Amino acid sequence: MSQPATLADAAQLAQEIERRLNQVLIGQRQVVREVLIALIAGGHVLIEGVPGLGKTLLVRSLGKVLELDFNRIQFTPDLMPTDVTGHAMYDQKTEQFRIRRGPAFTQLLLADEINRAPAKTQAALLEVMQERQITIEGKAFSLNEPYMVLATQNPLDQEGTYPLPEAELDRFLFKVLIDYPDHQDETTLVNMVLDGTIRASLDVDSLSPATDAAGLKALKTLSNSVLIDAEVLDYALRIVRATRDFSGLSHGASPRASIALARAGRVQALVEGRDFVTPDDIQQVARPVLRHRIQLSADAEIEGQTPETTLARLLEQVDAPRQ
Amino acid sequence: MELEKASARLAPRSPWQAVDLGTQLYRRWAFPALRVWLAFTLLPYAALLGLTLWQESWWPLVVAWWLKPVWERPLLAWYSHALFGETLTVRQLFRRWRQYALPGLGAQLTWRRLSPARSFNTCVWQLENAKGDQLSQRLRVLNSVPSNRAGMLTIVVLHLEQFMSMGLIALLYMLVPWQFSLEFSDWFVDQGALQTGIATVCMYLAMCITEPLYVACGFALYLNKRTWLEGWDLQLGLTRLGRRRHQLSTTSAMAVLLAILLLPFSPSSEAATNRTDQEQQEVIELLASEDYMPFEEVTERRWKGEAGEDSNWMQEFWKAFFENLEDDVDTDTSNPPSIPDTLLWAVAWALFAALVIWLLIKVADQLGLGKGRAEDSTPVIPTHVAGMDIRRKSLPKNLRDAMEQCLASGDVRAALSLLLRTALADLLRRYPVRLAAGSTEQQCLRSLREQHGEPPPIRFLEALTRAWIRTAWAHRPVSEDTARALLADWETLPGEEAVDA
Repeated sequence: MSQPATLADAAQLAQEIERRLNQVLIGQRQVVREVLIALIAGGHVLIEGVPGLGKTLLVRSLGKVLELDFNRIQFTPDLMPTDVTGHAMYDQKTEQFRIRRGPAFTQLLLADEINRAPAKTQAALLEVMQERQITIEGKAFSLNEPYMVLATQNPLDQEGTYPLPEAELDRFLFKVLIDYPDHQDETTLVNMVLDGTIRASLDVDSLSPATDAAGLKALKTLSNSVLIDAEVLDYALRIVRATRDFSGLSHGASPRASIALARAGRVQALVEGRDFVTPDDIQQVARPVLRHRIQLSADAEIEGQTPETTLARLLEQVDAPRQ
Repeated sequence: MELEKASARLAPRSPWQAVDLGTQLYRRWAFPALRVWLAFTLLPYAALLGLTLWQESWWPLVVAWWLKPVWERPLLAWYSHALFGETLTVRQLFRRWRQYALPGLGAQLTWRRLSPARSFNTCVWQLENAKGDQLSQRLRVLNSVPSNRAGMLTIVVLHLEQFMSMGLIALLYMLVPWQFSLEFSDWFVDQGALQTGIATVCMYLAMCITEPLYVACGFALYLNKRTWLEGWDLQLGLTRLGRRRHQLSTTSAMAVLLAILLLPFSPSSEAATNRTDQEQQEVIELLASEDYMPFEEVTERRWKGEAGEDSNWMQEFWKAFFENLEDDVDTDTSNPPSIPDTLLWAVAWALFAALVIWLLIKVADQLGLGKGRAEDSTPVIPTHVAGMDIRRKSLPKNLRDAMEQCLASGDVRAALSLLLRTALADLLRRYPVRLAAGSTEQQCLRSLREQHGEPPPIRFLEALTRAWIRTAWAHRPVSEDTARALLADWETLPGEEAVDA
């Protein structure tokens, strides 16, 4: 299995992973790019989109291409925290408690429709996402690296849902919007199914691994050596800071967003095949980093603004780095 | 009917003052009236509620609403006795039900059900017990001009009732736990037993307030109309006057008799004249007294309370504003000249017009109507791109000299910056695109390519941007020779005029 040794190798490997994912997930290049960046940067992703756009397929493909374990939890209103993390169970044979590990013990966790579960179950993921460990009966269990939570939520059916608290939202590196593929991509997809190139069930058997956990770890390490100029870093910080007193926003992003923006900018540069970050890289990842971390003011909502339009306005107004 | 026993002052009033009197009657007797209302309506409404829940239908509520004249009659009977000092018990009301409830009920429940003057006409039917032509004549007389405003009263109370019941329904919907799946949005599509039950209960609770009030106001309007037509106030005044004179005559009878006996001559004709004058004077005083004509029609603007009583600056401002409007022709030259009406009205209309225009612009923006216009407009040449000042005055007059100077000092970055600024300033004038302060150099290049293709100047800019990014962000400055080559390329490009031609 290939493991990158240099930044050039890393860029090549990242592009190869992206290419393979795009073979299966047709018409979602931006989503694939953003999920890949989050994975290499060691972050978690909140995916928002209507059902049937390939969210589960994406995670399964990631697991296949990177040879990572994959689990899926369907969040429901009666889901308990122990259903996610696991619990201690009394074994009558051995007359001892033994730990029954929940589905969170994996490497890629798909938390489907996370906002269907009540706050306490959502909170069970906080420790998992932040500390990469799970505590059961006072004993902490470390999770295997790499570890990534991909949570999904449906933007349309909001009845009986529990909005994610800000503390949890902040722990997602990206919020990715998945939309319908355009006409051309959808035509390609349908033709491929009709030709038998891919099966209608959109299985991932045809995918072959591009690397493994060690390769991904090397990618992550190498991404840390991508150069980020002081002016570019300052630009990232100015964008995040601008959200805190920008008109139309009631509250802005935390310092965690600044870190996320810089990290994601580096990986974006790496995937683009560069060993340095440009202001353009920062702009490319600013929207997925910030869209779930900002809160629109009531006035802005009444005027019909959305996080997307507000961020577009903000990015236009923050001066690009000055030389 | 013994008018002297009335516990309210019977005097001619305007219709709305009469409604005020009705409100006062309701406020005084709210609890006894509610008791009467509940005694007669609680069980029927409970039965109708049961039917509503059982049938999941609206018709029980409609029936209850249609039968309103039936429910109002005991209230009117109670008010009409209470006003003259007789408090009927619920038992008495039930016992006399046939007497007061049946007259005219058939008409009221059929072709006169939707009459807006129901509160007023019920009094005629129920209290006067007239029939046939006599009833028609009475109704015609009592409903004659000037209007008694009973129709307006019905409209006002109807709205009050609807708003109160809708408010209660809204409150319940907000408080009902979500498990019941009650949604405002389902109101017009999904009317189950729970929804109709809630509506019935809320309607009934609102009627517990509005019905006693409505009947009391209708009764007060009826009293007022009869006071106007039959001079009840005058009748009352004369009765009181007669009683006073009777008392005076009995107490002074002995004194008069003594005077007749003692005095040899009594000027009887003079005394009779004096007595007539006194009587006339008393009647004049009576007619001029407040008891007879308390009703005063005011057609000018008046402020509540005395000036200075309320220090609210807003009230003071409006007071000054309206006083100014009224006294703009001020003959007193000692006062400062006031602002003319025309100017004030012009300012007011200008403000109103500005508000309307502002609202229209906001609405147009929301509908996206203004966006297309903004996009269609010619792009404005930016002054800064990627944080760089590209105004002509900020650029060197001789680019080559300035660049050579930078290169001589080993500052390739500054040299490339000068070239990039000059190139951007020139190209954005030749190929206008919409850019913002936050646009990066790569965005600038993408926009130019998207809108104007790849003519030689834009291809040059691409090469220059690549060199610039390498130097500025990758910390790998291009060689001095590369910088000079780029400058040479720039100088060989056709000028602005050539491109325009």
